Amino acid sequence: MAKHRHSEPPSDPALRIKALESLLTEKKLIDPAAVDALVDTFEKRIGPRNGAKVVARAWVDPAYRKRLLADATGAIAELGFSGMQGEDMVVVENTPKVHNLLVCTLCSCYPWPVLGLPPVWYKAAPYRSRAVIEPRAVLDEFGVKVGPDVEVRVWDSTAELRYMVLPERPKGTEGMSEGELADLVTRDAMIGVAKLASGKKKKTPKAGGLKSRRPR
Amino acid sequence: MPVLTKAMVPSAVATGGSTRVKARVAAKFKKGDKVRTLNLNPLGHTRLPRYVRDKVGVIETDHGVFVFPDTSAHGKGEKPQRVYTVRFKAREVFGPSAGAKDSIYADLWDDYLERA
Amino acid sequence: MNGVHDLGGMQGLGPVNPETDEPVFHAPWERLAFAVMISVFAGGNYNVDEFRHAIERMSPADYLSTSYYEHWLHAMETLLIEKGAIKESELAAKWAKLGKGGA
Repeated sequence: MAKHRHSEPPSDPALRIKALESLLTEKKLIDPAAVDALVDTFEKRIGPRNGAKVVARAWVDPAYRKRLLADATGAIAELGFSGMQGEDMVVVENTPKVHNLLVCTLCSCYPWPVLGLPPVWYKAAPYRSRAVIEPRAVLDEFGVKVGPDVEVRVWDSTAELRYMVLPERPKGTEGMSEGELADLVTRDAMIGVAKLASGKKKKTPKAGGLKSRRPR
Repeated sequence: MPVLTKAMVPSAVATGGSTRVKARVAAKFKKGDKVRTLNLNPLGHTRLPRYVRDKVGVIETDHGVFVFPDTSAHGKGEKPQRVYTVRFKAREVFGPSAGAKDSIYADLWDDYLERA
Repeated sequence: MNGVHDLGGMQGLGPVNPETDEPVFHAPWERLAFAVMISVFAGGNYNVDEFRHAIERMSPADYLSTSYYEHWLHAMETLLIEKGAIKESELAAKWAKLGKGGA
């Protein structure tokens, strides 16, 4: 049961957080400059472009791919990505026979160092409830078709392991550079709610924001 | 612990805070073992979801020793123990409407599991 | 606990409805909520399990009807008060002051 609090908080969350920040700063429990630096880090610097680089490397370098699947934390760190909410990583590989889908049914666990902060839909009740019980319907909503001969594997991040999907390399990408390959990789493909189209070059959006397929 | 300052932010973010524990705790199970999740219904914090209680699965991976959330959330200590990825057939968990070929994986602590 | 947060397998909660090109933060206050939480966490004021459990202790109706970072607000306020790092009266005084346009 929630502890009974004597005062109801104001309905405006902006007021609540300003009040909390002000109080915590006065009590020297937080440093406002650190608060600003954290915003900057997660809004501008850390995002799915990181994961895209990991994927592209795995596509061009079979030895790297092996290391990534055996020790994802180490392999991801080779590219300079590590830390908060990705201290213990697992990468799962899509194949023609296996499609992986990631979820955190209990909260919002997500691999920040490679994908940045999760989108609202990932943290919300519909996805968290449905991904485990009707993954194929969820994939369908995202426009992903998975045949009956394919095994869908849903990974629920109930502990502190953090997951990333290694999507299949699309056809028609032979001869593309690693950078060009990374540009093809979407955040949604690394969660498992998208497959990558063959060989089409996509414009690299700014850090932190990647298109998700919008269902109609 | 000191207050997080701006100067500390880059290394704090790059290091994070793994909940792995450097304790020698024998594994109760190994890859391939058939296990059943316990029907635990604690009033406090747990990371054993209801949908996967009292279900039979197979140990997929032994990830090593981690803090146990059920005690850590209540000031009752770390109680370090093994975390395993356990693989379940989707139909074992959700019945005949689930995909015949599909599977669900959950990461579960020793205390949530017994041999099946 | 068998709370409403334990959503795996629940039904009737509607379509996933992903937003196209969604920003990392949807409002300035969300940036603050995120970064204040991380700062307080990094300062050792609570652990991740306590934080999650504080969210789980929200009223089920509030949990389902409020946004993600409002869950974080609830957890921070609850834990900081429970641990004696701040007093509820101090927080309420801040709300009153800021609500009247003070600082």
